[in-house]
Formats: sequence, structure tokens, C-alpha cells
Amino acid sequence: MSPAPEPILATSSLTMRFGGVVAVDNVDFSMSQGELRCLIGPNGAGKSTFFKCLTGQLRPSSGSILFDGDEIGGRQTHEIVARGIGIKTQVPNLFEGLSAYENINLAASRRNPADAAARVADDMLELMQIAEIAASTVGTLAHGQRQLVELAMVLAGQPRLVLLDEPAAGMAGEERARLASVVRSLAGDNTLIVVEHDMDFIKDIASTVTVFHRGRIFIEGHVEEIMAHSEVQEIYLGKETNAAA
Amino acid sequence: MAALGYWRGVALVAAIFLAILLFVPAWFDLFEVLQMTQYIVLAIYALSLAYIWGFGGIVSFGQAGFFGLGGYAFAVISINMGETTVPFLLTIALCFSFAAVLGYFMFYGRLSDVYLGVVTLVVTLIMWKLINHTAGPEYAIGKARLGGFNGIPSIPIMRVPFTDREMDPGEMFQYFMGLLIFVYLGLHVLIRSKFGRIAISIRENEVRTSLLGYDIRRYKLMVFSIGGALGGASGAMWATYQTFIDPNSFSLEMSAKCLIWVMAGGVGTLIGPIVGVVALQYLSLKLGETAFINNLVILGIILVLLVLLMPRGIVPTLHDWLRKGLALVRQPSREGAQ
Repeated sequence: MSPAPEPILATSSLTMRFGGVVAVDNVDFSMSQGELRCLIGPNGAGKSTFFKCLTGQLRPSSGSILFDGDEIGGRQTHEIVARGIGIKTQVPNLFEGLSAYENINLAASRRNPADAAARVADDMLELMQIAEIAASTVGTLAHGQRQLVELAMVLAGQPRLVLLDEPAAGMAGEERARLASVVRSLAGDNTLIVVEHDMDFIKDIASTVTVFHRGRIFIEGHVEEIMAHSEVQEIYLGKETNAAA
Repeated sequence: MAALGYWRGVALVAAIFLAILLFVPAWFDLFEVLQMTQYIVLAIYALSLAYIWGFGGIVSFGQAGFFGLGGYAFAVISINMGETTVPFLLTIALCFSFAAVLGYFMFYGRLSDVYLGVVTLVVTLIMWKLINHTAGPEYAIGKARLGGFNGIPSIPIMRVPFTDREMDPGEMFQYFMGLLIFVYLGLHVLIRSKFGRIAISIRENEVRTSLLGYDIRRYKLMVFSIGGALGGASGAMWATYQTFIDPNSFSLEMSAKCLIWVMAGGVGTLIGPIVGVVALQYLSLKLGETAFINNLVILGIILVLLVLLMPRGIVPTLHDWLRKGLALVRQPSREGAQ
């Protein structure tokens, strides 16, 4: 391995409490420029809360978040996004009444004047291969298509760090493969954190996996190693049985 | 394509307004012209709410606060200055600033929609209370006595801009109609601009808009302030049209009427609220002439029916009916051709 470069994202002792519940508990997380990291963990492990802290939707109770060397913990969402963090939320956040094109164009318009924004929006439609639904009202689209539109919106903002919260949910076969190839192609130029439950999808895209459990980082390592880890299986199986109950 | 259709619709409405501006004073008698002038003023008032509600997602229960403030500010300034052009502009600037200060606390304080509604309502009620308690001679600003619940009489009639000549009723009608056209077109340009599209995206989804990197507080503040300026302008027009203003301009009824006009006409359109004003004001005028049952009861029933039958408002519903009707007309003829 080459000498570790300056991390693009580093949290130290990041903690988020809701009353007595500690959703994110003293998390020290760091990753370098160009990396593609998967976050896994059962529901309620604190993954989405962690994302909300990173994007300023929640103000961390304590700890720090350094993005590219600058403290961003507790800053306004729009400031953080302007610094280059983009997020696809777990429940898609879209402008339901507007067309897919208009959605993506609005995302591209922040950094670009009108003509350039239109070009970026066209590029994104092509990248996601969703040009045929450009004129459709987003509220009428299937879940998988909505996910692709939202991903296109996030990328249209040209973020350096991309956070994807369950991007493959609601997707099948060909759509999911397309998503995986887009995600793989982004890594290198962009830094990505992907939260997923779908192990096959994770194997498709990532090498390094971080496991969250009860608000803490449980273990970090190579995907094969993690999936063979007996305790990780237990955590997940535990979740499976809980979900079944 | 869609954009072209949009502007064609706007141009059609503006052309109709222009025709009204040109021909109404000559073709209708004085009483009717005065009546229509009143509709124009109230239409601009309705647009002030239609804009912030329909295109910024801000529901203000206290739009009368700006209407009343505009009326009183214009009265005080114009009585002191003895003319109307500069006072009209100053009034608009004052109401814009007042909305900006109030909005700053609401939006930068991150009030949720419900509390925002409550705050706008309460601020208006406070203003109403305050102005009601200014009856004594000690409550005067320069030459203008506020007059408490008696209001301010003898407000100057609108002068032809930058001259000393009072407008006659026909001229005032045309001047106000011109202002309505200007506001109508101006708002459409604003809505279709980048600023307007971002404001609409906030209405659609605040979280996503901020996650795209837009400072939603700033946009909402601007939208609210523009609405305040328009509300103030309509208040000033009301004051000079009546040459009189009283605390009722701040009343709950005045705020409620505005909400009703916009809702009845159609939230998310600009022509809808104008239609709402004319239809409902004309209706209550006509009902007021009949004595066989309390007209407020009939008006209430009509409003209930309207909400039940046309929940989206008059204009969007008529628009749908028209489209479906045209499709029905076209369909058989196409089959016949086959």
C-alpha cells in the first residue's frame, strides 16, 4: 500500500444522543480520497444517523467531523453540501411534483449557469440511462427509478464525497447491475460511502467494509473477511430473526 | 414546448387585462368602474398571498398585517408630504423591510409551518390592537393623527405620478389595472427564474433543497418579503382609493378573506386568486342586496360547496374540465375519420 494520504473525512469521538438513546457512540471513522467504503449493520445500528451528522441534518452531541481538514460538525446543511458532500437519503427525497429532468436540473443549477446546468443534467440522464423518463413526474415513478433520479441529482452537484443510503433498495436485476457499475466508476475520482444490506451488491462494489453495531464501529476490514466473520453473521442473523418476529 | 404553452397562457391573460384597462372606463358607468377598481386592489392583495403560498410554500395567516401597515404608512406619509408618488414607493419599501425583519426571526429561527402561521396571525392581531388604541390627539405622526378605531380620513387621492394632478376615477382604474398587469407579469417572470424555481423546490421538499446546497432560509425570507411588499402596496392603494383607512384593514376577517380567495381560486396559480377575488366579492355584493336570508350564511354554504366540489380551486378545476371536454370532443371525430 502507498503511504496513507491525508484523510478526506475523519470523525473523532462523534456522538449523537437522543435523550437517553445513544444513536452514534464515540465513532472514530476515517477514509482517504478516492476510497469506496461500505457501511453495514442491522437496522438501528446508527448508520443513517451517522449520515445525518455528516450532512448537518443533525447537530452532533459531541465529537468532531473533519472534511478535507475543516471542521464541519454542526454547520448548516447547505454550507456542508457547498463544500462538496452529496447524499442520497434512505427514503428518497425528491421534488415529487416536478419532472425527473427538472429535479436533476435544479441540482445542477447551484454550481452552474443555466446552459451548463442543462448540459450536466443531460449527462446525468445519460450516465444513469434514464433519459426515457426525463419528462415523467417523479411522484409517478417506480421506486428503483426514483433511486436513480436521486442519485443523478446527487452527482449533478459534483460532490467530492458521496453518501449513498441504501441505493439498491427497490432495484432488481439489470437496474441494480447498472447502479453497481455507476458506483464502481465513481470511485477513484470521488470518495463514496455506501450503506447497504444487500451482501451481493456489496461484494459487487466494495473492498473495505465497516460494520456498525449499536452506534459503534464493530469491525472494519476486507469484504470477504467481514462476511466470514462469525460475530458479524451473528449480528445480522440476530437482525433477521428480529425482523421475522 | 411546455414553456411556450405557459407563456402563451400568460400573454393571453395579460391581453385580456389590457383590454379591460383600455375599454372599461369608457363602457361602464362610474359606480361599476369604482367597484372594479376595488377588485383590482384586492386582487393585488390576493396575489401577495398567492405568491408566497403557491410558489414558496409559506402560509401566512396574517397577510392583513401588511395590508393594514401599507394603508396606514401610505396615509401617514402622504398626508405629511402632500403628494402620493414618493409615499407609495416608501410604503412598499417599508412593508418589504418589515416583512424582512419579521421573516428573519421566523425563518432563521427555523419555525415550522404551523408556528409560522401562528406568529403571522399574532403579529397582525397585535398591530390591530395597537392601532385601535391610538385614539387620542397625542397619537400623531407629523400632521397625521392615527385616530384609533375612527381611522384616518382625508387621505390624498392618488396623483398622476410625479405631478400634482389628482386622478379621476377612470384614470385611477387604469393606473391600478396597469399595476396589476405589471405585478402579474412580474411574478410570472420571477417564478420562472432560477430564484423562482428554487423557491418552488422548497415548497416541494425542503430537506432535498438544502441537501442540494441551497440556503432555504434565505430564499424563504426573500419570497416572504416580496409578498409583504405586495401586500403593503395593495394596502396603500386601498387607502388612496377610499381616502380613508381604519383598523379593520388589520382585522382577522381581512386575513381570512385573503386565504379564502386564494384557496377558492386555486393555490399554485396566479390567475386563480384574481378570479377568486372577483367571483367572491361580486357574490357577496349581490347577496348583500337580497334581504331574504343572511348573505353570510349563503356565502358560507357556497364556500363549503366549493371546497367539497373543487378542492383544488376554481381555475385548476375548470382547466381540467376544459381539457377533458376537448379530449371528448376530439375523440369521436377521430374515430369517425378512421
